[in-house]
Amino acid sequence: MGEWLLILLILVPVAFGLLAWAAPGDRSRSWAVTVGALATIALSLVFAVTAKTGESWISLKDLLGGGTEWLAFGLELLIAIVVAVIAVRIRSRLILALALVQIGLAVAEEWFSLRAAPALPGADFRIDSLAIVMVSIVSIIGSIIAIYALGYMKHHQAHAPATAQGSGRFFFVLVGFLGMMNGLVLADNLRWLIIFWEATTLCSFALIGHDGTLESRKNARLALLINSFGGAAMMLGSLLALSGAGVEHLSGITAANRALIPLAFLALAAFTKSAQLPFQSWLLGAMVAPTPVSALLHSATMVKAGVYLILRLAPGFTGSRVMFAIALAGAFSFAAAAALAVGQSNAKKVLAYSTISNLGLIIACAGINTPLAYATAMMLLLFHAIVKALLFLCVGTIEQKIGSRDIEDMGVVMFELPVTTLMALVGMASMLTPPFGMLVCKWMAIESAIASPLILLFLILGSALTLFFWAKWLGRIQTVSYHATLTREKLPLSILSAEYILGGGVVLTAIMGIPLFQILFAPLAVQTYQGIGIPAEQLSILDSVGGLDICLIMLFIALAAVANMLTGRYFKPERVRLPFLSGENVVTDARTFRFRGLKDEPDEAWTTALYLDTVFTEAKITQWTNWLAILVLLTMFALVVGV
Amino acid sequence: MWSDWETFSAFCSGICPALFPAIMVLAAPLVGALLMGIDRKITARIQGRIGPPILQPVYDVLKLFAKEPLFLNRLYIFYAWLYLAFMILVVVLLAMGQDILMVLFVHAFATIALILGAMSVRSPYSRIGASRKIMQMVAYEPILILFVVGIYLSTPHPHSFLASAVMKLNQPLLFTLPLLLPAYFAAVVIKMEKSPFDVSSGHHAHQELVRGVTIEYSGPFLALIEIAHFYEVFILFFIMAMFWSTNLWIGAGIALAGFFAQILVDNASPRLTTFWMIRFMWAGPMLLALCNIVWLYGMGRG
Repeated sequence: MGEWLLILLILVPVAFGLLAWAAPGDRSRSWAVTVGALATIALSLVFAVTAKTGESWISLKDLLGGGTEWLAFGLELLIAIVVAVIAVRIRSRLILALALVQIGLAVAEEWFSLRAAPALPGADFRIDSLAIVMVSIVSIIGSIIAIYALGYMKHHQAHAPATAQGSGRFFFVLVGFLGMMNGLVLADNLRWLIIFWEATTLCSFALIGHDGTLESRKNARLALLINSFGGAAMMLGSLLALSGAGVEHLSGITAANRALIPLAFLALAAFTKSAQLPFQSWLLGAMVAPTPVSALLHSATMVKAGVYLILRLAPGFTGSRVMFAIALAGAFSFAAAAALAVGQSNAKKVLAYSTISNLGLIIACAGINTPLAYATAMMLLLFHAIVKALLFLCVGTIEQKIGSRDIEDMGVVMFELPVTTLMALVGMASMLTPPFGMLVCKWMAIESAIASPLILLFLILGSALTLFFWAKWLGRIQTVSYHATLTREKLPLSILSAEYILGGGVVLTAIMGIPLFQILFAPLAVQTYQGIGIPAEQLSILDSVGGLDICLIMLFIALAAVANMLTGRYFKPERVRLPFLSGENVVTDARTFRFRGLKDEPDEAWTTALYLDTVFTEAKITQWTNWLAILVLLTMFALVVGV
Repeated sequence: MWSDWETFSAFCSGICPALFPAIMVLAAPLVGALLMGIDRKITARIQGRIGPPILQPVYDVLKLFAKEPLFLNRLYIFYAWLYLAFMILVVVLLAMGQDILMVLFVHAFATIALILGAMSVRSPYSRIGASRKIMQMVAYEPILILFVVGIYLSTPHPHSFLASAVMKLNQPLLFTLPLLLPAYFAAVVIKMEKSPFDVSSGHHAHQELVRGVTIEYSGPFLALIEIAHFYEVFILFFIMAMFWSTNLWIGAGIALAGFFAQILVDNASPRLTTFWMIRFMWAGPMLLALCNIVWLYGMGRG
């Protein structure tokens, strides 16, 4: 049954996406998307529950009979040709060149694999714990975002520029994206992996360019260019794996253990997709798209494909110097992206840099390549997917309400959008405070990075800078004066339910963080590293994590909350005071925050947080860090040759 | 008598497992208040004044509780409670011998609670203070994490992050972390809001920031902040005493020496800018800490 579920997980989102496209009106489209999203969630749950323990392998040949190799080859060529056609249409010579290279590589690979008679052993798809976790994240969080998009797009289309594409096509790509992503994390055959990899590139191109404005078309082109470069790197790696090591499967590359050259090229592809430095520009450009697209690209799909690939490959290369270079690149991106986020007051840009930073942390953990680090990386991936989805949805709602994405303009939202703001607060707090998962992960990341001082240094500097940019935003968004009652916000059901579910998910993972680690991720890591020869003392570190007392932290937060409630009886309107403005407050009947300034003219008391744009200038830092990141990547390739 | 810390905690745990943390939680604010009283007295004498009684911080808190509770919004009062709760939690975790890195993070969150409380009110002084407090954290937090890493590397194989493992060390931490002591001291000067680093919360209300982060807290709510600060003073110097964990008296001696040194530094130096602080901390103490860590790796402790 597993094999048919697998096919359904890929095809059902695409099918419902097509239905949404074909739907005549808004109402029927909403039905198609809602049912499709719920069906995808249900399928992923059934898939996770019914999966056999251990690994199972699935070949399309067994299901569909012969000729599936030709199907794969055909699809691979088709996608490359589509990219080439798009390149001609948007008049980009670079993308056209990359598409032609891809076509050439696909043909060359087909030629090699035909020569390698008898046919190479191996299955097309692999189902194991990592794949199941990934499918669950993609299907569940992705579907919630699709449902949120229903409410968001109604508002968006009403104000969208005339050049914008129709809602139908938007939802087709958005929902179909989930199917492609499911295929990507299940594929073991490199050829299928490449097909889904390139399909997600095309999906993101279509979504980023949705509004059709000059800026969005430019940024969509950039995304296509960088990801096509990554796709070409992946195809080259796959070709080299076939011609050099004689394998055409991911499992073959990790088993061959010496297939370092393909590893380096696949890692390069992963870096482009996960927007690691120096490839970050496409993800920053992607924020011109409607917010559900950003949420989807940042949390459940696209950027997660890259870190997934590294996680998939890492256990096959324990103790390899190339893995160290990968970890270094990740740790560097973690710190550099955090530094870049410090100077930004654009909310979506801060979120984008924080995504790049967090993905860097995941890659660093995967590259450290011990069971503890691996389990940490998995946990980070899960938490990040939930939190980022939540934060993007909240920022999207706030932006539609206040008409600005500048953090400094968000001082009013606590009063006007209490629910959304509370959810955003939970999300942001979960990025840096105990007892939420992110902090536990950072704690575990530092504990597992201790053997590599250079990586550790980047993690420490990055943590300090992360604190900086989150605390500023948290402080602004929660600014509130005394109100006897808060406003009731009116939001569409789809938006509100998505926010509640994801917010609940963040809190739940905070409560369940350590049990989740012990029940799910620690066994997963142990199982992954079995038989590879990890010393027993590293396995035992996994147990020590259980000693962490999250309950105690929860208890103290609860105590503070109870104490606060007990002081609640003092909170009476007559005890409310104005802030200290050197005794020069303008006193009127209504509470104001003005003071008597020059010539007794009333003046608004207003301060902004520190952005230090003279130090953290985006252009300057980007330039420097990009060169350094290129240096790290070159080091990675040098280590391949040197080994 | 109990020069050996471990014996004392074992003795208490023998009676009741919660006894030792309970004693610590009760004793910590008293020690902290006493230290702050001594601090004010010595500072006064340096400046040629008589100074308040040693117990003045305690009297202050008692008086604050009797004042009328005034407030600006509900949220920042909750953060005052969180600040206090997390400071107490740090003491509990230390007494239980828990993971020091986690202790550090909980401690950091206590400070973040103070920052967020200051940022939730529409008060320019409080917000500027909070911004600067964040800068202070950026300045000292890497050093504290490196300190924890140094402690980890100092424990015998297999290494451990547990505070209880530090108490079982055969040789003082100072022997393995000689450069981290001055680095940690610099961090303590920031945490104590002493010159030249007292940028976020002036002790003297005539400065440009008035009272900074805590300006909008008053009456009983300010008392909460003060009590939390007592805990923090205790925690900072308790950790300094851990540099000589094999003998409690020598450890206490180091902590006291550090305590007097920061009073001297406070009185001898002018207040400098936030950026100067970051530049200084990331160049000087950070370099010391890094050298110490690299040296430990060089000794084959990695």
